[in-house]
Amino acid sequence: MELFSEYFKKGHILSKIDARVKLLVSLTILVMVLSYKAFVFPLLVLGLCTLLTLGMKIPLRVFLLRVSQPLFIASMIVILKFLFSGNDALFSLHIVGIKLSGHKDGLIEGLKIASRILGATSVIAVLGFSTPLTEFIAGLSWLRVPRGFIEVLMFAYRYIFVLFEDAMVIYNAQKNRLGYSNIRRGLVSFGTLAGSLVLKAFEHSHNITVSMIQRGYDGNIPMLKHKPFSLSEVFVSVLLISAMGVLWKI
Amino acid sequence: MKIKNLKTKFQFFIFVLFGYLLSANNAHAMHISEGILPFNWALFWSVMAVPFVAWGLYRLKKLSSVDLSFKPLVGLMAAVVFIISCMPIPVPTAGTCSHPCGTGISGILVGPAISILVTAVALLIQALFLAHGGLSTWGADIVSMGVMGSFAGFLTFKLLRSMKINMAIAGFMAGLFADWATYFTTSVELASGIRGDSPFMPLFWKILIAFIPTQLPLGILEGAMTAGMVMLLYKKRPDLLVKMKVLKQEEVAI
Repeated sequence: MELFSEYFKKGHILSKIDARVKLLVSLTILVMVLSYKAFVFPLLVLGLCTLLTLGMKIPLRVFLLRVSQPLFIASMIVILKFLFSGNDALFSLHIVGIKLSGHKDGLIEGLKIASRILGATSVIAVLGFSTPLTEFIAGLSWLRVPRGFIEVLMFAYRYIFVLFEDAMVIYNAQKNRLGYSNIRRGLVSFGTLAGSLVLKAFEHSHNITVSMIQRGYDGNIPMLKHKPFSLSEVFVSVLLISAMGVLWKI
Repeated sequence: MKIKNLKTKFQFFIFVLFGYLLSANNAHAMHISEGILPFNWALFWSVMAVPFVAWGLYRLKKLSSVDLSFKPLVGLMAAVVFIISCMPIPVPTAGTCSHPCGTGISGILVGPAISILVTAVALLIQALFLAHGGLSTWGADIVSMGVMGSFAGFLTFKLLRSMKINMAIAGFMAGLFADWATYFTTSVELASGIRGDSPFMPLFWKILIAFIPTQLPLGILEGAMTAGMVMLLYKKRPDLLVKMKVLKQEEVAI
């Protein structure tokens, strides 16, 4: 859970920028990365995002951890495409009399997908590192995302931490009683743990509703009112998107 | 002819091996990673997901107008699905850990419409802060985990209960089919997204079979977990199951 809050340090280069601006810029760059047909632009985005992450004083280890899973998937896709797709054979290996070929066109296709994965992941990683969920939610509300969705998102975000703590208490208690000593017991324990979380969710939802009704809750949560956009932020964003657009077009 | 067959078998073995590595070492392979799908496919799956999420929101509005505690409950269910799908459970054949979906149980408890909404919320938080899944693949993940997982879990449970099958078995089968339905859809989405100019069906079968080493046992484990959850709720708080219309009052009385 440390990735949720610990690295949202204040005072970095992106912390003061309006969440709506960051969201719109990120989504625009994401669309550019996804629709790009080669691998230079996504890799450029990856490089820029890595620099931004370091500029935000987020340890490189944390950034690498965030992109590690997509990186692994990207590597696998390159290998799969290289060996099983394409017609232009680069080499052939004979293993126990069987020919295994590496294809140039397959490799290129794999690298394109891999670069797209890394570019897109890094954009969302920067958005996640620079924007606390509360600000992100305010941005979604401005984007006219339905109110019901935002309210459920707010409740979920608030109670992830509470339920996670509950889960850890139950898990440690189970572990101390050898609840995970073998697969069968582990399964039973995990089922009990997950079931207990559902029970806790029911309890918490009842308690929170009672306390909210006492404070005037009528089924709707008031949303933050948005400040007007800062002209300088809009100007810089348009400039950045234009520059990226030119690079995308080249 | 024989050599050609052998070659195909060998290529298939290598493919399965890579697929196995891909799925076994990545506990979050269930979520399609950010950027895997090209823009047109990302857009297609997002458009596919919209009516289902809208249906969930419609049901939420309707139910929360009657019961004020319903909206917080849905939020908390999303938190539960989030935590369950972040928790590692052992996969014996892979010698590693993977994670359950949690959509089977949410489909049973709150119905498919709300369960889709719950999954959409959990997936959004995971995509933003844990890089599990992504914003561009959000729609695809909602369709595979939320829509297919929730419907498979809900319908299986309802069908088996209507046939008077034991609740633990119904819960087990619901979890099993929710998991497998998710992986089947994920295979369709992956094959269509990464195939390029290659034909769809051969790649689809390769991906589907490549998932088997982990998903076959994982589905069984998820089934066991779902059965455990349903039985725990039945023993401790049957009133909640009646409230959520999972059981009828007379079934609890028995």
